Amino acid sequence: MTAPLPNPGKKYDLDFARWVYDNVNGGDKMALCMQCGVCSGSCPIGTNMDHGPRKLFMMIRAGMQEAVMTSNTPANCTSCYRCVVRCPRSVPVTYILQDLLAKQAELGYRAKDSNENIAFAKSFWWSARAFGRTDERLVTAKYYWSFGPAEFWKRSMENLKIALGFIKKGRMHIGMPHSVKDKKGLKAILDKAREIESRG
Amino acid sequence: MSDNKKVRMTYYPGCSSQGSARHLDESLRAVLPEMGVEIDDIADWNCCGASVGHIGGGQLPNLSLTGRNLAKARERGTQDVITGCAACYLNTHGGNEKIKADVKKKAQVNEALAAGDLKYDGDLKVRHVCEVLVNDVGVDKIKDRVKNPLTGLKVAGYVGCQTVRPFAQTQAGGEYDSYDDPNFLDDFTEACGATAVPFQNKTSCCGGSVAVMSPDRTLHLIKNILEEAKEAGADVISTPCPLCQTNVEMYQDQINAKYGTDYKIPVVFYSQLMAVAFGMDGDKDAALQRNTNASDKLDKLAKRGG
Ligand code: SF4
Ligand code: SF4
Repeated sequence: MTAPLPNPGKKYDLDFARWVYDNVNGGDKMALCMQCGVCSGSCPIGTNMDHGPRKLFMMIRAGMQEAVMTSNTPANCTSCYRCVVRCPRSVPVTYILQDLLAKQAELGYRAKDSNENIAFAKSFWWSARAFGRTDERLVTAKYYWSFGPAEFWKRSMENLKIALGFIKKGRMHIGMPHSVKDKKGLKAILDKAREIESRG
Repeated sequence: MSDNKKVRMTYYPGCSSQGSARHLDESLRAVLPEMGVEIDDIADWNCCGASVGHIGGGQLPNLSLTGRNLAKARERGTQDVITGCAACYLNTHGGNEKIKADVKKKAQVNEALAAGDLKYDGDLKVRHVCEVLVNDVGVDKIKDRVKNPLTGLKVAGYVGCQTVRPFAQTQAGGEYDSYDDPNFLDDFTEACGATAVPFQNKTSCCGGSVAVMSPDRTLHLIKNILEEAKEAGADVISTPCPLCQTNVEMYQDQINAKYGTDYKIPVVFYSQLMAVAFGMDGDKDAALQRNTNASDKLDKLAKRGG
C-alpha cells in the first residue's frame, strides 16, 4: 500500500514533493529535472494535457498536491516513451506519470479524464489474474459495462462493425476464454506479490 | 549468422497472438525458421501486463507476470527469449533488466514465484524479433530468401513506439536502431523487393491503449499517420507492432466519419510481407486473409496453395 499523503487537503505542502520521491516509481529521479521542456515539447498528446510533464514536475516540487493529484496529464500519457529517450537528465518521465495515475486512483482522487484509464486497467487486470491472459473481447465488454448499461450499449454499437470484422477474420474468437493451464499457480504468485507489496 | 546455420530461441507469443494479431504470430512462425531461427514456445506462458497492468494490479504483481514467464522460459534452458510484440518486449525485457539490476526486486519476485513453485535468477536475455533479424540474421540474409520479390509495391514503414523506445539504442536492447529515425523496417521492405516510401510519421504514436479505451482522445494521431501514407502513395502500411496494426486499421471508418476522409489503407505486418516475398502461401503463411482492409496488389503477388 502507498503511504497516505502527509497533509491531505492542504493546497501547498512541501512534504508532498518528498512523498512523490519516496512513493512514486521513478520519483526519486525527479529531482534531476532541469525544466528544459523537452518532454512536453516531444509529447504527441500534449494538447490533451492540462499541464504536461515539465510543468507537472515543477508543480510537484512546489507542493501543489491537490492540483497534481487531480491533473489529467498522467491519464493522457500513451506510453510512447518519446520523453524518456529524449530527456537530457534521464528522468523516467513515462514511469513517473503512469505510477502517478495509479496513485491518484489508489488514494481516491478522481483526476480528470482518468475514469476511463482506471476502468480499463481494472478490466484488464481482472482478465490477467483470472485467466493469465488478456481476452480482448471480455476486457472490452467488461470495460464498457463499467460505465453502466446505457454506455455499454452505446459503445458496443459504435464498435460493432469492428468486432464483427474481427470475428469474420478469426481475430476475435467465440467460446471459452483463452487461459493458462496452471491458473491456480498463477493466482498464488500474483496474490503473494500483492501481499509483499502491501507490507512495503 | 552464416549460411544454413540454425539457432534455437524461446518464443513468447503474447496474448494478441490468440486474438487481434494472429496474423503477426502466424507469419512469424512461417518466416523465422526460413531465416534459421527455430522457436519453442514458453510453456504455459501468461500475459505480460501490457501498458496498464501495473495500474490495475500494482507494480510487483505486474513484474511477477514477467517473472513467471521467464521462470518458465528458463526451464527450457539459457537460450534467448524472443517476442514479436512491442508491449510484450517492453514489459518482458524491461522487467528482466529490472530483476537483474535490483536485488531487492529480484528477491521479492522470487518470493512471489515460490508461491507457484517457480524461481528465476535473471540469467536470460529477452530480445525483440526485429533486433534478432537485424543483428543475428542480417538484412542480406533476408534478401537471400526472397523468391517472389514484391516489385512495385509501395510500403510506408510505420515502426510505432515501443518496438524502439525506450530500448533500441541501449546495450541490453542490442543497439539495433535509433529511437526517432529507425531504418530497419524500410530495410526489411527493400529486402523483400518492395519500395519503401519516405515516411516522417514512422515513429509517431497511434495512441496505444488510450486509443483502445477512448478513441475520441486519439483519432487525430491515427489520422496523421493515414494522411501521410496516402500522400506518399503507399499501397500498404507495414508495421511490427500488434497494437499499431489494430489501431491504424480498425479506426479508419470512425476517422472517415469524423473528418470526412475516405481512408481504406491496408495495414500489414512486415512478417506478412516477408512470407509473401519468400514465396510462401498467402493465407496459411502470410495470413493475408486476417487483414480487414485487404491489399489487392499484395494479394495478387501472393502465391497460393504452394
Ligand atoms: S525533458 Fe527531462 S529535464 Fe527536461 S523538463 Fe522534461 S523531465 Fe525535466
Ligand atoms: S510517454 Fe507519455 S508523457 Fe512522454 S511523450 Fe509519450 S505520451 Fe507524452
